[in-house]
Amino acid sequence: MLNVPLTTLVPEYIKKFEAYIPSRPDPELMKLYQVDHLWRLNNNENPLGPPEGSARIIEQFPPKRASIYPSGDSYYLRVKLAERFDLDPDQIIFGNGANEAIAFVIKAFCQEGDNIITADKTFAVYEWVAEFSGFEARLVPLKHFGFDDEQMLARIDERTKILFVCNPNNPTGTYWDEPKLRRFLDTVAGRQIVVVDEAYCEFVEAPDYPDGMKLLKEYPNLVTFRTFSKMYALAGLRIGYLAGSRDVVDVIRRTCIVYSVNGLAQEAALAAIGDDEHVARTRRHVTAEKSYLLRELAALGLETHAGEGCYVMVRLPMSDTLVYRRLMAKGVMIRTMTGFRFPNWIRVSIGVHDAMEAFINSLGEILAEGNGG
Amino acid sequence: MQDRKTDITLSVETDIKFLPLVLSFSESSSRIFGLQDADALKLTLASEEVFAYLCRMTKDPGKVTLTMVNGFYYALLTVAFEGIDFDPRAFNLTANVSPDEEGLEEMGLLIAARSVDRMSIFHNAMEGTGFALIKEKTYPAAEPWRSEEVPRAEGVTFGSPDAEEIKVFVRSIAGGYNSFVYPQDFRYPGKVVDMVESGEYGVLTARDPKGGIAGGMVWRSSGTSMIECYGPYVFVEEGRAGLAERLVAELISAVARSEAVCLMNRYATDDLPPGYFETLGTIDFALAGEKRPWKFLFRQLREDPGCRVYSHAGMEDFLKSQYKKHFLARQIVPVAYEGERQNPHSVFGAAFQHNQDLVVLLPLWDGADARENLARHIEALRAEGIANILLRIDLGHGWQARLYPVIEAGGFTPSIVIPYRGKADCVLFTLKG
Repeated sequence: MLNVPLTTLVPEYIKKFEAYIPSRPDPELMKLYQVDHLWRLNNNENPLGPPEGSARIIEQFPPKRASIYPSGDSYYLRVKLAERFDLDPDQIIFGNGANEAIAFVIKAFCQEGDNIITADKTFAVYEWVAEFSGFEARLVPLKHFGFDDEQMLARIDERTKILFVCNPNNPTGTYWDEPKLRRFLDTVAGRQIVVVDEAYCEFVEAPDYPDGMKLLKEYPNLVTFRTFSKMYALAGLRIGYLAGSRDVVDVIRRTCIVYSVNGLAQEAALAAIGDDEHVARTRRHVTAEKSYLLRELAALGLETHAGEGCYVMVRLPMSDTLVYRRLMAKGVMIRTMTGFRFPNWIRVSIGVHDAMEAFINSLGEILAEGNGG
Repeated sequence: MQDRKTDITLSVETDIKFLPLVLSFSESSSRIFGLQDADALKLTLASEEVFAYLCRMTKDPGKVTLTMVNGFYYALLTVAFEGIDFDPRAFNLTANVSPDEEGLEEMGLLIAARSVDRMSIFHNAMEGTGFALIKEKTYPAAEPWRSEEVPRAEGVTFGSPDAEEIKVFVRSIAGGYNSFVYPQDFRYPGKVVDMVESGEYGVLTARDPKGGIAGGMVWRSSGTSMIECYGPYVFVEEGRAGLAERLVAELISAVARSEAVCLMNRYATDDLPPGYFETLGTIDFALAGEKRPWKFLFRQLREDPGCRVYSHAGMEDFLKSQYKKHFLARQIVPVAYEGERQNPHSVFGAAFQHNQDLVVLLPLWDGADARENLARHIEALRAEGIANILLRIDLGHGWQARLYPVIEAGGFTPSIVIPYRGKADCVLFTLKG
């Protein structure tokens, strides 16, 4: 058999990386943890499932269509969203999930020696993509669980290309109101790209929450990210998008991978747009279950933090990664928060009521049993 | 500041006529990277022995690449080669070289191993095959120190200290804590500064508003999957518990998005707050005639995806009980020796920690003589008066799990499972009696 000369083929900087290993599929996890069910409360998935129109598309998708290439740039989706947000379709780019859009933007604007700025305790992918691509990620500590605008501005230098703001923030649920976001954008004054990640915007009911899409006309350096994975429950189809000014998006498009969004995802997303009843139903569910969860967690004597979004943070008196294993052994999967730099906290997604009850009961048992270590 | 990128490389053929060039390369480059005369000469001697050995082992000249790497507190010489066979048994601590011609060929490797601080074999797709020889610099030991003004816990800020602050921090640890709760490197502040500079150590300190060091923690990568940490070291009198907890949380946050999946606290102090680490088990440890418990404190940095481990039937019950106790989801794959061909000679590595009176044995190479070889190691270590002899196997390697009957026959008992310590979980064995 041939020996591949990896010593010479692999670049030095790649040798230093460890491959990211995602979680195993549920049936494998259930086998390993010896459970016959698994409540998924780890990925902020919508427990109500996709909007009716999307569900119908998925159910009725003709197998023969799988042999046909989809629109390479999600044409119909861009047209429909452009109408909805009063934009030009060319101001929108679709990706295989919003993660791909993050990579597009970083690749479009950063070169060796450049940096990006974001928070230390937020969605990890901005930091990861920057670091893996060889760019510095400047991390500004959260202030009262929220992005610190002043410190972010203070960290800007001549090599700063992009500022990432997660609004509302995953995992803390805090958000910048419109005046604050405007002040930030005014101070940046177009010198850098400002990305506002609005993955959870449809869950926010607060009247002072800013709509990034409406600000695009005033701030040509603003880029907004949105996804169909959360509110619209199409996470399994991987579809998200970004929007910005025509000039900025034209640059980002040069780094895009075309045909990365599959046909079923495009059609299901198209059917989801404008289903306000689905949004309202989901919001009612999240509000009710979040309230139940916070009440029960308080009864267990646990500190919590909950803002906007379909998730709640819980502080534990023991290691979050240990509690993950113990909850898994009871068929409940949550997100540990050590990776968010909140050691001994967990993030619990809002699920169906049975799942919420299972989580509370299992956590109560674990706390009663003690650390076990 | 020295630049780590300035590695120096020499490529030659395995022909003894190149020996003077190899010696000149090793001596000059190790001096450039800061080794003093005696240390540079020892590394040069090691390179001579290894290169001469390779020349003797090769019928047709093959390519050898020597690379001197600046490790800041050490010089690392790698000798990588292609297409050369060698018998690795000479790497055994107890290799008993016979005076016949074949034995003499391997004598050189023993001399090389004893001339340097660390020597290992590498053999993988990324690095190729070869030897890695490490000679550390010599540093002056420092006196323990205690600040006259007691720092305060209020208003502290956390960050990475500069070189002078690292020295003060390290001296303060030696001045305030028993030597049992910090690594021996801490006796040499300059060495710690260089280890931080090399990226091997990370240091986090809490500074009070007057600039006094109120406390800190240290960590060190232990392979790609594991980080070891030490502390928390706290120098304030009031508010110790709160500061200790903040230090631990800051440390975990600092390493949370690294490539490591686990964190172990190798030298925990009494200030360690509850709830951040799991106790995997405790080993009774003998030091200076006293028995001390050595708690294995561990936490995962990521969600456990579960994994597959190899196990010999003899230790399956032990593994199952440990996995149940610690809620670790594992698929146990049974392995056993079934008469297949084996290499004649095995190799056990021996990692010494003199200040702990400790040796950890590690199987490096499978071989038919493993049982006798292990027995020789135990005999030699007991003769040296080593009080604590442990053995560690990696359950990610079937051949290591298969060694269980050999290990048991050597008098070892499985004591602790360390998740993801190697390719998969590792088992630490203690020596009975």
